[in-house]
Amino acid sequence: MFTYNKDTFLNINKIIFSSLDIREVYQTMSNELSKIIDFDRLTITLITEDNNLYEAFVVQSKTREDTYIKEGDLYPMKDSLMEKVVQSRKPVIVDDTAKSQFATDVFLFKEGIRSRLGFPLVYKGCIMKHQKLFHIDEKKYPIEFKERIIGSINFGSRQKRHYSKKHVDFVSKIAPQLAMAIENTRLFNRIKDAEEKYRNVVESSPDIIFECTSDGKFFLINPSVEKILGYSVHYFYDAGGSILSLCHTDDQGQVLREILQLLHGEKDSLMDFEFRVVHKKGNIVWLSLEAIPIKQDNKIIGIEGFCRDITDRKKLDELKNSLIRDVTHELKTPVAKMEMAIDMYRRSFAIESESTGEKELHLYNLLQNNVSRLKNIIRNVLDISRLESGVERLNISDFTFVELVDQVIHELNPIAIQKGNTITHQIPATIILKADREKMYYLLVNLVGNAIKFTSHGRIDISFMITPYGFEVSVKDTGKGLDDEAIKHAFDKFYKETPSIPGSGIGLAISKNIVELHNGCIWAESGGKGKGAKFTFRFPTCHLMKQAT
Amino acid sequence: MKDLLIVEDDPEMQEFYRDMLKGEQFSVTYASDGEEGLKEMKGKKYDLVILDILMENITGDRLFALLRKDKHYKEVPVIMASSLDKQTYQCFQALGKVSFLEKPFTKEMLITEINKYL
Repeated sequence: MFTYNKDTFLNINKIIFSSLDIREVYQTMSNELSKIIDFDRLTITLITEDNNLYEAFVVQSKTREDTYIKEGDLYPMKDSLMEKVVQSRKPVIVDDTAKSQFATDVFLFKEGIRSRLGFPLVYKGCIMKHQKLFHIDEKKYPIEFKERIIGSINFGSRQKRHYSKKHVDFVSKIAPQLAMAIENTRLFNRIKDAEEKYRNVVESSPDIIFECTSDGKFFLINPSVEKILGYSVHYFYDAGGSILSLCHTDDQGQVLREILQLLHGEKDSLMDFEFRVVHKKGNIVWLSLEAIPIKQDNKIIGIEGFCRDITDRKKLDELKNSLIRDVTHELKTPVAKMEMAIDMYRRSFAIESESTGEKELHLYNLLQNNVSRLKNIIRNVLDISRLESGVERLNISDFTFVELVDQVIHELNPIAIQKGNTITHQIPATIILKADREKMYYLLVNLVGNAIKFTSHGRIDISFMITPYGFEVSVKDTGKGLDDEAIKHAFDKFYKETPSIPGSGIGLAISKNIVELHNGCIWAESGGKGKGAKFTFRFPTCHLMKQAT
Repeated sequence: MKDLLIVEDDPEMQEFYRDMLKGEQFSVTYASDGEEGLKEMKGKKYDLVILDILMENITGDRLFALLRKDKHYKEVPVIMASSLDKQTYQCFQALGKVSFLEKPFTKEMLITEINKYL
């Protein structure tokens, strides 16, 4: 039986575009179809992306419940009716499955199906050259109109030679719409999946993820905010621009300044910006903010980013800090008193005056030198513990590099001259660094001080170079040099190539820590014993403020 | 003669102060901890206060914060003397008329610091 009914046909078309749930569409559609086209079995199969397999998208059999082909399963294309349909892009009719023209005929024959009609589903639509799910800019992403075969719709009948040109003509009227509906569904599902994935990431993140307009209205904030700050997401959506008042009063000014800099385009991003917020219950929560501006047509319209709860880390830092502070006090106080006692002794007994005996003066100097050595060691040990404990933060400022170098040379020159050394540098006066000046000072004093220590009647040169990886500062001397073993261990704590030379043996370890705090690296080079040494550290370009002209 | 109050819980440090300020034109009073210092200041207005920082009972920084809230001591110069790094207490600079003396210091350093205010 085959009847062409215009109403039913229009009905089918309506159904096809009525819903994005293709299985739901299919159910109503197959009911309509069965009114006009005879089938005992109906399947829609779709080709997988690699074209080797096909998926049974929907299966409906009137002959038996337990069919060979099951919905959602994948089957090989090879030797199937589907393969022929896909390759020829034309409908294929099987008059009698008993002849086993296709591998699948055998199974369908067993299920009582004797004839088959496979009809290609060709999608005639636009395909984005660059698939991007959101905000499609047609100028950037050209749209291409293309025909693509996505699968087939297949009918099966218990009668032999059941399907004819009439059926083919009819199916050809609904197949393009069906193909489009299926493709739309797949695209919709892909978008839905992507959206769900994105939403899951945002909602399950332990950090606060947010997006807000330039006047402080939130249009995205995830539930973590309630866990961290006690206020629900609705509080933020409704609060408008008043959210700044949640910040600790001492931090509000700084938070506002940083955000405004971002909104005015004076900064490209905020990284690890730490501030305090008052929890709904009144306790202080430390947050670390990373944010970037949201741009539309090159205009900044808001900011987006995330806040991490760093309260526990802050508490631990505080604990470490107070421990280091106490140890510092305990170690430094007796040494300080010894130094003061030595000074008091000098004044009380007029040491260094002409009447002082040689032995007295010698003992006095011995005491003074060793106390000062002990003091330096303690200072270095405390410095390295502070650096290694991770509580030490960079205090970044902009400064002219050459001024720092001149200061270091000025301070170390007297000792250099005593040893017959000359210190030179080739630092361009235009270089401005964005780094921790005090730590850079220590770094240079340590490197130049070492160079002086191991060089007699020689030269020490400080140079600067910009490379693709950042900028490099080298301190090169003509002194004792280093062997391979010393180069390997130069930055180890307490490593001293010559134990008799005074020093704590941690100056270079501290230097390495300072360089690493700036995300840089440091290394030593030498031509070998007696051939001088060169210590170089490299900082990433972000620490090079500008090169004034 | 100007009145100086030195709040220092370490008797040896007190000895250094005595030695260094010997013969100087100041009248010096010593308090052996924060509480005693506070009591001393309630009874008399000193011209300058030298505070040790790490002390039992009331620490020097706490004492300093209390002083700045007291109407009699709002403007009185304070020298904080400690073996801690100067930058640790940089934040107190905002409260005015305060300087830091890192231990160890010499007689000359102490006198210079006092003379800044008196």
